[in-house]
Amino acid sequence: MNKPYWGLWTLLLAALVFFVFLSFWQDGFSVGGLEIKTALFASDMGAQMKKRRVVDADTLDADGRLPDGHHPKGWRAPVDTTAKNILFIGDSMLEGLAPRLAAYCDKNGHTLVEVIWYSSSTLCWGQSGRLTELINKYHPNYIFVCLGANELYVPDIKRARRPHLKKMLAEIGNIPYVWIGPPNWDKDTGINDMLEQEVDEGCFYLSANDHFDRSRDGAHPTRSSAHQWMDRVVKWLGSEGAYPIRLENPGEGIGRASHIVVYQPPV
Amino acid sequence: MILNSIDMSQLLSLLTFNREEPMLFTSGLFWVLFLLFLPVYAMLKSRRKQMMIFVIAFSLYFFYKSSGLFFLLLVATSVFDWWVAQFIESSKNRTERRIALTVSLVFSLGILLFFKYGNFVMFNLEALIGGNFQPMDLILPVGISFYTFRTISYVVDVYRGKIQPVDDYLDHLFFLSYFPCLVAGPIVRSCDFNPQVQQNKPATREMIYGGLWLVMLGILKKAVFADYIAQYNNIAFGNPSGYTGFELLMAVLGFTMQIYCDFSGYSDMAIGLSSIMGFNLGINFNYPYRSLNVTEFWHRWHITLSTWLRDYVYIPMGGNRRGKVRQHINLMVTMLLGGLWHGAAWTFVVWGAGHGIALCVHKLCKPWLDTIESTRATRFVSWLLTFSFVAFLWIFFRANTFQAAGQVISGIFTDFEWAYLPVFIARRSTWCIMLAIIFGLHFVPVTVWDKLRDRFIAAHWAVKLVIFIFLIQLVLQFASATVQPFLYSQF
Repeated sequence: MNKPYWGLWTLLLAALVFFVFLSFWQDGFSVGGLEIKTALFASDMGAQMKKRRVVDADTLDADGRLPDGHHPKGWRAPVDTTAKNILFIGDSMLEGLAPRLAAYCDKNGHTLVEVIWYSSSTLCWGQSGRLTELINKYHPNYIFVCLGANELYVPDIKRARRPHLKKMLAEIGNIPYVWIGPPNWDKDTGINDMLEQEVDEGCFYLSANDHFDRSRDGAHPTRSSAHQWMDRVVKWLGSEGAYPIRLENPGEGIGRASHIVVYQPPV
Repeated sequence: MILNSIDMSQLLSLLTFNREEPMLFTSGLFWVLFLLFLPVYAMLKSRRKQMMIFVIAFSLYFFYKSSGLFFLLLVATSVFDWWVAQFIESSKNRTERRIALTVSLVFSLGILLFFKYGNFVMFNLEALIGGNFQPMDLILPVGISFYTFRTISYVVDVYRGKIQPVDDYLDHLFFLSYFPCLVAGPIVRSCDFNPQVQQNKPATREMIYGGLWLVMLGILKKAVFADYIAQYNNIAFGNPSGYTGFELLMAVLGFTMQIYCDFSGYSDMAIGLSSIMGFNLGINFNYPYRSLNVTEFWHRWHITLSTWLRDYVYIPMGGNRRGKVRQHINLMVTMLLGGLWHGAAWTFVVWGAGHGIALCVHKLCKPWLDTIESTRATRFVSWLLTFSFVAFLWIFFRANTFQAAGQVISGIFTDFEWAYLPVFIARRSTWCIMLAIIFGLHFVPVTVWDKLRDRFIAAHWAVKLVIFIFLIQLVLQFASATVQPFLYSQF
């Protein structure tokens, strides 16, 4: 190998070694207040090792969960017919969804608390700890979440938002839940992929492929389209959801949550 | 222990074809593989035949990783066109030669038309004559438009007697599969490339580190600038009715810079990698947004495509040799085809038509324009008009539908308020700074760039390493996790 090629090769190799070394700080680090991001080499390797361990250990606990805390593929709880305290949290999409879910709740004897945080995302929910406060305050035994519409175009989303999503899921804990995915009006940068990967089996409703009639802003479904959206979620929950509850069709119309909390957009 | 813990099937899936993750020059996997490629290449460089076989194998793997078994299409095309070129050269019968050329063109263009325009043609036929058409589930082999144009230029040049066909099939396969320009050009010609391969001169220090400099510039343009400013453009173009005229105008300006950084960045990386390997691919972009008229723009933008269209479409149709009217028709047809080449949609045709009309108008007005004295003011007005027009036409290039394009245009003209400026700058300050930097860098004199490159080449190894690491860290700081296919890979 001639000298310039040798020089170039060692340069590229030195750079690779440098970035592989730094990648062991998987969440990056801070230098003088500047957040330094690191490459994914180590985290990718760690994910593969973890994946292998999970596959190897397939024994279930008493709650039917794998050692990683998730249910195995295809697991479903029997339909729970008891009355529920439902907490429905999310972004502005709740304006259309929640009134329709309230109608279902009225019909089936559930109580509904609706919490709209305008322009919110997994980032602000995960960072704020607000979900834990709400759970402690309203003691829900079933949770609906609709989040992700404000994160369709977030770059590096798996790195940037996965920790916050995991934090939210940890806050939900063992409370049965359904996460309603964003109603995409354009291709996203990975929010739906991330939700599919992280949210428990049978707890994520993918809305991205549904058809929606949009309001004037081109993003939010019209009221009637949002009601149909909620109907589809309920139908899916009954047939494929991991934690089905009694949600008989209330016919046409909407209802009103027993309690509505509104938060202003995050700064 | 670590190796034992890594799932080998995961490793295998990383190295096999994945439709969702084509191998691009900006992917980490490519650079890890290039690190393995480089020492072997350096050792084989002086042994031409062995070097060629090695590069062909790497190139075909590169293509396989991006397009799966469709790499066999490229092999089939190379075999067929190599044989056709041999036949054309050996045949003395003009009719036979012409038939051979036609068969070659039908073969190459047939594959391109099927994969790229099959569904488009069927949809339009359905709209015209009715029916119930189900779209075919076609994968567009990455870079098919580029290698098709390269093989066409080879066969046509042999037919015209401009070049001799290569005797050794490996030479032709090397030319056609050469990985630096496989995915997104430049559309290098056999007459420029093959003599370099025949001579196989050793790569000098200037070529190797000059190549690295270009690669770094390309990474900066593509992975830092283009991918970052694309985020806002995607939001606004994805839902134009949700944005004000000012925001839409910024998205149009953003896309104008994004597509330049995206495409010229990838070209820079291709040219730089080739320079590292000791082969000069010329230049593909020459500060296009400095142009003072549309004709000049096309002399500076995607130069290898515009010269290809000139030599293999415009001139064969008669060029400017058959009178003014025919010249304008030829120009329009060339630009319409150029538009369609970029994508199978009517929006691309409108984009091409817009440029065609502008070129015709400029040619018509040129005698009058030449009488105007060239002052700083007139040059500025010319530049502003040209830049605005080019940016305007990018709307059709970027918008997914005519409806979306219409919403962007009507938004800009009916819902525009300067009051949004401070809010926009405050909310998207990094984006604005990036846009300003790209714009400013476009007007840095060429001599300054040349001096910087020379200083980089002359710099100590450790200085180069620090600069390289700084650049990659910059990429990480602004990185998008989901791979953003560079725009022209779809063409």
